Amino acid sequence: MLFNSVSFAIFLPVVFILYWLIFNRNLQLQNFLLLCASYFFYACWDWRFLFLLVFSTLLDYFTGLKMTESENQKSRSFWLWLSILINLGFLGVFKYYNFFAGSFTQMFSNFGLNVNPWTLKVILPVGISFYTFHGLSYVIDIYKRRIKAERNFIDYSLFVSFFPLLVAGPIERATHLLPQIKKVRVFNYHNAANGLRQILWGLFKKIVIADQCAEFANTIFANSASYSGSTLVLGAIFFTFQIYCDFSGYSDIALGVARLFGIELLRNFAFPYFSRDVAEFWRRWHISLSTWFRDYLYVPLGGSKGGTWLKVRNTFIIFLVSGFWHGANWTFIIWGFLNALFIMPSIIFKTNRNNLEIVAKGKSLPTLSEFLHILLTFCMVVFAWIFFRANNVTHAFNYLGRIFSRSLFSIPSFDVNRPQLLETIALIVFFIVIEWNGRENQYAIETLTKLKSRNYRLAFYYALVLIAFLFAGKEQQFIYFQF
Amino acid sequence: MGSFLNKTMVFILTSMLLLACIILIPDFLVKKFSKFNIDKGYKIVLFGHSHSECAFNDSLISGFKNLSHSAEPYFYTYQKVKKVISQNNQVETILIEFSNNQIDEKMDEWTWGYKYMSNMFPQYASFMDAADLELLFNKNPKDFINCVSILARQNIFRVVTLNYSFSGSIGGYLKVNNPKPLELNNKGLPIVRDTASGRTVLSITNLNYLRKIVDYCRQKNKKVFLVRSPQHIGYEYMKNEKVFMAIKKTYFQDVDFLDFNNFPLKDDEFADLGHLNFKGASKFSDYVNRMISSGILEPGKKQVLINTTLPKKMYFKPVVNNSN
Repeated sequence: MLFNSVSFAIFLPVVFILYWLIFNRNLQLQNFLLLCASYFFYACWDWRFLFLLVFSTLLDYFTGLKMTESENQKSRSFWLWLSILINLGFLGVFKYYNFFAGSFTQMFSNFGLNVNPWTLKVILPVGISFYTFHGLSYVIDIYKRRIKAERNFIDYSLFVSFFPLLVAGPIERATHLLPQIKKVRVFNYHNAANGLRQILWGLFKKIVIADQCAEFANTIFANSASYSGSTLVLGAIFFTFQIYCDFSGYSDIALGVARLFGIELLRNFAFPYFSRDVAEFWRRWHISLSTWFRDYLYVPLGGSKGGTWLKVRNTFIIFLVSGFWHGANWTFIIWGFLNALFIMPSIIFKTNRNNLEIVAKGKSLPTLSEFLHILLTFCMVVFAWIFFRANNVTHAFNYLGRIFSRSLFSIPSFDVNRPQLLETIALIVFFIVIEWNGRENQYAIETLTKLKSRNYRLAFYYALVLIAFLFAGKEQQFIYFQF
Repeated sequence: MGSFLNKTMVFILTSMLLLACIILIPDFLVKKFSKFNIDKGYKIVLFGHSHSECAFNDSLISGFKNLSHSAEPYFYTYQKVKKVISQNNQVETILIEFSNNQIDEKMDEWTWGYKYMSNMFPQYASFMDAADLELLFNKNPKDFINCVSILARQNIFRVVTLNYSFSGSIGGYLKVNNPKPLELNNKGLPIVRDTASGRTVLSITNLNYLRKIVDYCRQKNKKVFLVRSPQHIGYEYMKNEKVFMAIKKTYFQDVDFLDFNNFPLKDDEFADLGHLNFKGASKFSDYVNRMISSGILEPGKKQVLINTTLPKKMYFKPVVNNSN
């Protein structure tokens, strides 16, 4: 069930009404309803993988309890590692086994040895990377004595499986979400209205910007060998907007839906394309994953306490792991490596925390220097996305090779419906203007400060609905579902 | 809570009302002002899919307009035929491509599969009647709704640009230069990709709409012919030839059939097994032009033509089922 589908448009109001009007007197019933709804939501993809989700939930629930009950450090370590190994084992089998098998086969064949390891013919369970990380953060937090194990199985299961975040995040923390699940929730008009507004903006980003850009990006990446360098640059820019609007659109819908049920999820995006350097970009892009790696990998490795070179090593490690988390393909690892390279100057020269505030705060426009920094950062990000999008490493290098050729200075041209291309470019410009104006909010249209009158604001929302309807094509899956 | 639900309902209802307006108002305007005019000199019009689109080079045939369009099933042709006939009184004869793949169930996918429907539906939806819309909705409701949004967008674009002319987008001769030679196996035989069991599953919808086209043309006092463009002997859908002929005989006995299937063409005159390239189309169109000039479309003259005017050595014989 996709957020941008008709079935979800029926599912959500039904759960909402049951939640607030029928089950509102009892918190446990509300949580049970949300859990059932979440399992139903997940089963709509493939009910067989529901067993995996339940198993993963049971594993972390019991290992968490065992750790809390045990005073012996060795025993606590045993339960922690049992959970980590089984969780990562599932991830490894379903997501990475074929990649490793293929890579080893290739490596051996380079030495003239023919090996034929088994390959698995299984599809990747949707959201496995996300709920595995939920579970891992929970058991690690118990081990570190940041939290105590949750004894109520329904509450814990809901923490792992809450449907808005189940398949593509944000990656929640037990310290943040569990207390909300255990607290009585009272309906709040402003929160609910804010949630609807965020859903609307998320749908707009997904349906109007991401799906339109996808059409051009897919065409250009699929036929990159026959296009000029300038056209390939255009393709990379379209993908840059596609992936941002696709993923942040999903996150906006997830956050908005959770708000409708009185739950605040972690913010995942904070206008990353207005960043002035790559370090700032990574503080604003997929925040829940970046902070997860910071807290559970970077800090345990020594973080930034051991001098510059340790910091450099740790930075490379988390970016390579982050790349690998995205998918079993060398393109993602190179993408992570490139981002580590881009961030290095600011790590070495200790400028990585220079831009903590949003750009041009309280002003209408950035200074020339800020603008040039934003542009340079954007270009680096676009460059790295080419690896992320390419089918394989050879495709990525060929793509780049064609970009850095004489044809870079030609006029972009490709087989496309010209009015549709112009419409898409106009929509991207409109989107950038709205994002810029709303960059001090949690999401762009949280407060439409320029529109003083309520009627203007309503007209704006209606316009978004109409535009979203007009550009709705076939339901396209969200990119991050594959991770 | 009550206030939230009320306001949300009002917002949703207002949005739906606005959506209805942006769908229905442009739709009404397009319906009212649409133009399907073709030049007054064209008395014969051909409809069909890519076979006839690539085969009939109308610049070589006098008084003849090719309005065939790739991947167009009869469902959409029917809508086009209604508009073209109603706005072009000079048209006397309607030719409709009827070839082997048009009886196949693949035509159902062409009619309501998203890929094809999203292309054809926005073009012709404004001219469909309730039964046509209902058919598409029943067959593929999810994609039908998505296609309505594409329809609204295209209609708004037409209204805003005041461009109500459909003449440039309803079909025409498609020149194929054949960039690569016909694929042959090492025995020089065409490569046939179809590995199906040979079972022919029919598209009842497509055949029903062919009937509707024929009946509509008759009702408007137009002469109607079914035409089969040349196909390569190795064309995969030739497997259903017996069923095809049985359908022709059973359901379209009353319609003249000009069968050019075996028109003599060399391999390098085909773009692929089902389509002619420019060279093949030129040769074939030149022949069709001569045949029309000789009166092949005139009642009563067809058999005489076959017996007297065709070269004796020519092994191709156009099959004419004369029902008159």
